[in-house]
Amino acid sequence: MNSIVHDIRNQLAVATANIEAFLDGKLEPTKTRLEAVHAALADVDVLLNELVNDLREMEDPFTEPSR
Amino acid sequence: METIRQDRVLIIDDEPAILEVLSTYLQDEGFAVITAADGAQAIELAIAQQPDLVVLDLTLPTLSGVEVFRRVRAEMDVPVIMLTSRVNEVDRVVGLELGADDYIGKPFSPREVVARIKTVLRRYRHAAAGNARADVQVQRVGDLAIDRAGHDVRIGGKGIALTPMEFRILDVLAHNIGQTFSRAQLLDKIAPDSTDVFDRTLDRHIANLRHKIESDSSEPRYIVTVFGVGYKMVNPG
Repeated sequence: MNSIVHDIRNQLAVATANIEAFLDGKLEPTKTRLEAVHAALADVDVLLNELVNDLREMEDPFTEPSR
Repeated sequence: METIRQDRVLIIDDEPAILEVLSTYLQDEGFAVITAADGAQAIELAIAQQPDLVVLDLTLPTLSGVEVFRRVRAEMDVPVIMLTSRVNEVDRVVGLELGADDYIGKPFSPREVVARIKTVLRRYRHAAAGNARADVQVQRVGDLAIDRAGHDVRIGGKGIALTPMEFRILDVLAHNIGQTFSRAQLLDKIAPDSTDVFDRTLDRHIANLRHKIESDSSEPRYIVTVFGVGYKMVNPG
């Protein structure tokens, strides 16, 4: 679970660092960069789902772990 | 910006987007930027380019950030700022165990990273200026002259070449003349973070050091063995 949280923070870092750079006028929001931000946020969504599943398993000790 | 010499910052992160953003901010502030995406390359670049500061992501794919940190620090005296998404590891990283100069949690603000880099550099320069004054004097023990700042050791005026590890051992012992160190205490002083330096390795370093500084290494006059305890340095008078 720690590693999921870690991955979430990493992907958020990619998104927020880029967006801050766009807002500060340091980088142009090119298509490639916007795609990278988009992909990072899509990853966050996937990772959050994993996290929720892990938490559910912790709550209910009688379910088989999914991994 | 009027800078006589550009400060060089080495950034190590496996995420290209992070490298790009940080490079852009730092270059705009007048820094020269070197980037590395993996640990092995980072160590190589650090040695070749001698950066003024290192920004290091703690979790890298092949060689861990901790390992990179140790190797870089073993080679050079450079301030290191850790980037980490593992907030629960922060205390270990910045505390005694590793001794990074600062850490920044992910996600971070690039503006804040630049500000922290400037602060650490300023603090580091200030401390270095103080050390330079304190370290001017050369310590003499018998015929040995140990110049700590210059990493220079002479015996009877003749320079001798020591490995960094040998120099550290000599430095610790010479600063504490007459004090006996157990192997564990000595290891802790010379390589506090290392798990791969063993007692035997230490004994070998001591043997090599004696070979270099003692006129007869089977009858050491400087670094003497305290049987069953460890080693100490004595003044041969």
